[in-house]
Amino acid sequence: MPKYLCLQRNLASATPSGDKPSPAQMQAMYAKFNDWREKFQTNLVDLGGRLGAGRIATAGPTTDGPLVEVKELVGGYMIISADSLEAALGIARECPGLVRPGSGVEVIEIHSPQ
Amino acid sequence: MSVPPDDHFFRHEYGRLVAMLARRVGARHLETIEDAVQEALLAAVETWPRGAVPENPSAWLYRVAHNRVSGELRRQVRHGQLAAGHALSTHQPAAEEQLALLPGDIEDELLRMLFVCCDEALPVESQLVLALKTLCGFDVREIAERLFTTEGNVYKRLERARTRLRDGPDGAELTGTQLGSRLPAVHTIVHTLFTEGYLSSRPESAIRRELCDEALRLAAVLASHPVGQAPETFALLALMHLHNARAPGRQDATLGLLLLEEQDRSLWDQEEIALGLALLARSTEGEVFSRYHAEAGIAAEHCLAPSFAETRWSRIAECYELLEQAAPSPLHTLSRALAIAEWQGPDQGLAVIEGLEPPAWLLRSYQWSVVLADLHRRAGNKELAEHHRSSALEAAPSGAIRTALARRLG
Repeated sequence: MPKYLCLQRNLASATPSGDKPSPAQMQAMYAKFNDWREKFQTNLVDLGGRLGAGRIATAGPTTDGPLVEVKELVGGYMIISADSLEAALGIARECPGLVRPGSGVEVIEIHSPQ
Repeated sequence: MSVPPDDHFFRHEYGRLVAMLARRVGARHLETIEDAVQEALLAAVETWPRGAVPENPSAWLYRVAHNRVSGELRRQVRHGQLAAGHALSTHQPAAEEQLALLPGDIEDELLRMLFVCCDEALPVESQLVLALKTLCGFDVREIAERLFTTEGNVYKRLERARTRLRDGPDGAELTGTQLGSRLPAVHTIVHTLFTEGYLSSRPESAIRRELCDEALRLAAVLASHPVGQAPETFALLALMHLHNARAPGRQDATLGLLLLEEQDRSLWDQEEIALGLALLARSTEGEVFSRYHAEAGIAAEHCLAPSFAETRWSRIAECYELLEQAAPSPLHTLSRALAIAEWQGPDQGLAVIEGLEPPAWLLRSYQWSVVLADLHRRAGNKELAEHHRSSALEAAPSGAIRTALARRLG
């Protein structure tokens, strides 16, 4: 099955701070995420994580470079496997926490030599 | 991977962490603390389901929140917003603080925070909102929903409390004497929390149920510590359990008394009744008689009565009289009138109310009309009964209550 890279994107239209979820809402998010994980466990290759600070290794001196901007745009990543891009989008769309007001998921096919 | 076992894990961790950090860095930094705790919980939501839940989730959360608080305080010192003394060292929580994660000590911290919330310089409304926010982990919207007020109102009350904590004496250094002098305020808050959840005439019972559970949780913490082990505490805990035990027939005070006759007593939780009675017995070890004793006494009489007809109404009328002395309210007088009517007849009940000059809010409420309608009906005063009956039905705050009233008043 092809693999897909999922990038959590903060949508430009949303205000950056937004509403902070309450502890009760976090409890619900946590439970929903676990349900989603159960449901698609065979598709989840790497649950990834949130992205922190980064630097670029180049031929010259290291630099913070454009990754600072990438960090602001991409909240986190994960890798899933699915039959098609459509199916991968379907799995990502159901993922609570990734798809919510203010954020969406960009799903990108990872080419692998067959 | 295991999901945290308790449905209220995040909410209760919030309260626990805020209390522990307030003790560590001082309640004057409450806003910084609350932000850090929020972020720590969010970090847990984001990382735990992707890997494994840490072996000791509470310790994990404390470490993350503690690091955020110390980072933020250092930042504030760097920017000249804080005196240098407020910065914490960068070290991981020391062994001594890890020890603070033992359950008994966590309860100490919760208890201390409860006393911090009950600052006599704050109006009770602000104390209540502060306790709901910091100890129970409800956010502004959720508090507004539960107290039937606006978010703006909750926010205002909270701001007042935070300003006081920022500028007032630091709660983390409350002395034993100060703790003692705040105990009545703590009782009031826990009682109010329970009453908000239990006695309200409004619908949406499920979310209000949570307020009762929170009140019981805080009262249990109070009763587990020497500083809270006063007769009033046990009486308060007794009254909550004796009410809770009859939860299936739960209604507000006046209506509850009126509809008691219809209740199926076999549904009452006998184990919880036994617990309530044991606590009530413990509350009499001392010279104190408080309103909580009177209320628990009334609840106990109802729990002990094999049937409505066999209730010891003389004892209940007596308890209401004591309650009126301990906490004067025309609502208590109305309830006594109902008890006397059961004991000595409707005319005697009416005699209790005769001298009463009800305040405007009571005149407008259905409680006043329903008691008069009921007593006049039983005394055979048809016209007066009908007059008060229609006022009662008109003033009923919900459809459920209106239906119940119509059934009771015939």
